[in-house]
Amino acid sequence: MPNFPWLSGQDAPEIGDASLAALLAGAEPAEGLAPELQPLADALAALTAGPARDELAGEAAALAEFASRAGVPVPVSRSRHRRHPLLAPLLSARAAAVTAVAALSLGGFATAAFAGALPAPAQQFAHHTFGAPPAGGGQPTGTHPSAATTPTGPDATGPAAFGLCTAWAHAKAHGTSSQQAAAFRNLAAAAGGASNVAAYCAAVPHPGPSSSPTGPSASHPTGPPASHPAGKPTSHPTGPPASHPTPHPTGQPTSHP
Amino acid sequence: MVKLLRPVAGLPILGPVIGDGFEAVLAAAQEGSQVAFSQLWRDGNPALLRYLRVMVPEAAEDVAADTWMHVVRGLAAFRGDEQAWRGWLFTTARRRALDERRRRMRRPVAPLAEVALDRLPVSGDAADAAIEHLATRSAMALVARLPPLQAEVILLRVVAGLDNDTVARLTGRSSGAVRVAAHRGLRRLAEILAETGVTL
Repeated sequence: MPNFPWLSGQDAPEIGDASLAALLAGAEPAEGLAPELQPLADALAALTAGPARDELAGEAAALAEFASRAGVPVPVSRSRHRRHPLLAPLLSARAAAVTAVAALSLGGFATAAFAGALPAPAQQFAHHTFGAPPAGGGQPTGTHPSAATTPTGPDATGPAAFGLCTAWAHAKAHGTSSQQAAAFRNLAAAAGGASNVAAYCAAVPHPGPSSSPTGPSASHPTGPPASHPAGKPTSHPTGPPASHPTPHPTGQPTSHP
Repeated sequence: MVKLLRPVAGLPILGPVIGDGFEAVLAAAQEGSQVAFSQLWRDGNPALLRYLRVMVPEAAEDVAADTWMHVVRGLAAFRGDEQAWRGWLFTTARRRALDERRRRMRRPVAPLAEVALDRLPVSGDAADAAIEHLATRSAMALVARLPPLQAEVILLRVVAGLDNDTVARLTGRSSGAVRVAAHRGLRRLAEILAETGVTL
């Protein structure tokens, strides 16, 4: 046990209300500090001692939170459709997930795409973008992606990335350890490595009012997270899709063993 | 001979630390100045953590961060002087702390008396800082041994620097009840100090 400097009293002191009121207010009692009050005064002084290092450790996270919010005009639609406080973390996580999926390495994505292993909307996107087998049992459909999988436009990358960085800073500041890990994983994936996170976030443009979605349908996607980092595909695959997906991301149909 | 009541490190963390400049600091923070917000944070967070480490020992840092998040959101709309600012800060913290307690109801919670000594500095601090820190944590552990209302009222009066009426509003008690709780708590604290000269 540590040695407490004020633990030298012998008898329980009799203390008047006036002295107590003064001590509570951080002032010296009018009649002076009686010797038997010194241990109590010392304890109260210790309670209000200068900040310890760990008590200032959260400053960076708090400043990040402040910087991410200060001076940001609230769009009109946001004031009408104010997010429920309990939903905000979920929505942040969703934005993070959208961006992280968008930033997945193309290799892994392509591997899954040519294996036909992606969820249907993503598989369909892969089919239209770089000729992976289409969704739905390998049958070419020739239809355009449904509304749920339509890319939201080039602007989505910016705000989504910003949201990811915000979510990361948020989770880092006060999320649970699992939230922190998930947010950081997503961000590291987007940044191309854990060591790139800071630089990545620093380069993310702040989504101004002009790029903010103006309607609830735009800001709250109803389908599965869109996994498309780019706008409408510029090149449509011209050849027939591979009818026999292979586990190799070569794009070349191979015969089954 | 007479010691200052808040002498450690030469500068109290409480009371009107920002003082006359508070209005300007608040206004700058509301305009988005990170320097000004940092000043508010550095002034408020140590006291906030000391309060929360007794109120919600297992989640003090989380609740403090949560509190600041809410404060940041509401900062632009805040109006008031430094006392009002502190009242708002600790009102927000108290709500978050009570929410956190409710969330943890089903989970076993460490008795208050065991809270404060579990995160003592391991190494790295200068000797003076470590001793100072130790004294602060020890004092917090002593306060945590008081009945909950007495402990909270003392922390809000002494650590948060709020006046009796503000604490009464904040805790939903009468001014008289708060005063009685604070005085009983201090007397009990003095008794503990006298007793633990042997036992602690």
